[in-house]
Amino acid sequence: MFELRSWQAKAGFMALLLLIAFFLFFPVYWALSSAFKGNGELYQMDPTLFPNDFYLGHFMTAISEGNLLLQLKNSLLTSTSSALLNAALASLAGYSFAKFEYPAKKPLMLLILSAQMFPFGVLLISIYPMLQAVNLLDTKLGLTISYIVFALPVSTYMMYSYFKQLPNELIEAAKVDGASNLKIFYRIVMPISFPAFITVTLYAFMWSWNDLLYSMTLITSEENRTVGPGLLLRYINENNSDWGGAMAASFLAAAPVVVVFALLQKQFIGGVTSGAVK
Amino acid sequence: MDMVSIKDRGLKRPKTERSLKAGDRRFAYLILIPAMTAFMVMVFYPFVDAMSMSFFQFTIYDMEPIFIGFDNFVTVLTDPYVLASWVTTAVFVVGTTLLTMTFGLAWALLMYQDFHGRAVFRTMTLLPWILPSTVSAFVWAWMLNGKYGVVNAMLLSAGIVDENIQFLSNDVGAMVAIILTRTWISIPLFMSFFLAGLQGMDFQQIEAARLDGAGNLTIVRRLILPHLKPVFLVTGALGMIGNLQQFDIIYALTGGGPIRATTVLSIEVFKQAFENWDLGMASTIGVLWVFTLMPLVVFYLRSLFKED
Repeated sequence: MFELRSWQAKAGFMALLLLIAFFLFFPVYWALSSAFKGNGELYQMDPTLFPNDFYLGHFMTAISEGNLLLQLKNSLLTSTSSALLNAALASLAGYSFAKFEYPAKKPLMLLILSAQMFPFGVLLISIYPMLQAVNLLDTKLGLTISYIVFALPVSTYMMYSYFKQLPNELIEAAKVDGASNLKIFYRIVMPISFPAFITVTLYAFMWSWNDLLYSMTLITSEENRTVGPGLLLRYINENNSDWGGAMAASFLAAAPVVVVFALLQKQFIGGVTSGAVK
Repeated sequence: MDMVSIKDRGLKRPKTERSLKAGDRRFAYLILIPAMTAFMVMVFYPFVDAMSMSFFQFTIYDMEPIFIGFDNFVTVLTDPYVLASWVTTAVFVVGTTLLTMTFGLAWALLMYQDFHGRAVFRTMTLLPWILPSTVSAFVWAWMLNGKYGVVNAMLLSAGIVDENIQFLSNDVGAMVAIILTRTWISIPLFMSFFLAGLQGMDFQQIEAARLDGAGNLTIVRRLILPHLKPVFLVTGALGMIGNLQQFDIIYALTGGGPIRATTVLSIEVFKQAFENWDLGMASTIGVLWVFTLMPLVVFYLRSLFKED
């Protein structure tokens, strides 16, 4: 798009590229390199760019002390199940909005989308006593259900815009053959919408995976604790000085999802952006 | 007997257009039920509940909510400390959204250019976005550490400061820290929005402008920015909605402090509800918070539905 013939243009482009790249990627590099530094090297006024010797002690203690692995398991379990549940609800609702005509359609769709107007923190004030009343406070199931709040509106819209693009002839043809609406949905529509379903699942997963507010408030026992609050409670307090441990644990906590996203990133980015701004 | 005849009729006659439509409509409503139920139970009811709670005094000392009319609202609107959290929120939201959009746009323009290694950059751009919020907060808290932080080391060696800045324990530093961290996390998403917007650019127009002697910057100003204007408006609204609700990063980095320097609305409501256990007050601030968000959401939804 840009013509970079003159040296000024080249230099300007490179300078801007390096500046923003530094801002985006250096923190990740720094965290990673800090995780491999021994305490002597970590706590000196003149920091080293590369770890002198690859010290693995922080990783060892991150795993052997505390409950990092259990917390990871809890996080993966609650985030994955809520993401799948969310994607299923969003697919059904999105299909209804995209391929059928009925009087209440637009108001109902607006209603679901308007959920973005209500801050999660405000909803939590009532969700907390609600879960308490049905004995779901401090359970993985309660947290899983609460996570639906985060992604349902946008997920529904994403599925809606995907279904909208599907040719009507596809559905009409199946109907002429005598297939029921339900059958058309799960035999024809869902299989070809699998990429969108995955995108929406990942999108919802991201929300719950990143969450701190709900997991911190709705989970109180060590046994159900998820990664976010787990890390926070362990490493951020008045007299914390274990930055090496914090970086190593952070790396371990982030690694599984980074791998998944690296594999799926192409379709994911396209899907999310087309859903939110089209 | 009637039942049988109705059934028979249904079987024998070919379905009329009308009954087909009715069946479709029934199916459409039916598959809407799960999502609507989730919405009603987890979003709508809690919101209505919070709305009504704002008219009650309900603290940990009250067995039952006590109706007090608009008293909570009067208390909130006359409390300079609580009102200050609107200002704090505004600083955070405006600062973060502006920075995110500027860097997001710049990065999208760079990533739109065909150069060697672009694919690697694009893939890596996702990183800040997919880290759990606590992890991002850790990374930046360590970078900005007042004693051993690498940012301080860089500033010192560049001669910009004479002594370490205690970022997280002074008012301005803490605000800078949360804005930087949140910007860092949001750039990937905004880059994707702008990249998607750039896909629709008319290349012939750019070529024509170039033949007329327009330079790179002129093309950005005259052609690209006007083309992206609608994307700007929608992502701007979306960004502000997200930042107005931001809790995780701020809580993990500063906990709303030092003292109240970074106590934005989300932190204020959380503290009122889950530290002071003053549900009436928390709900009142929450309701006012919703009204703050409403114009942005209305704008965003209207632009989403414009083309439908």
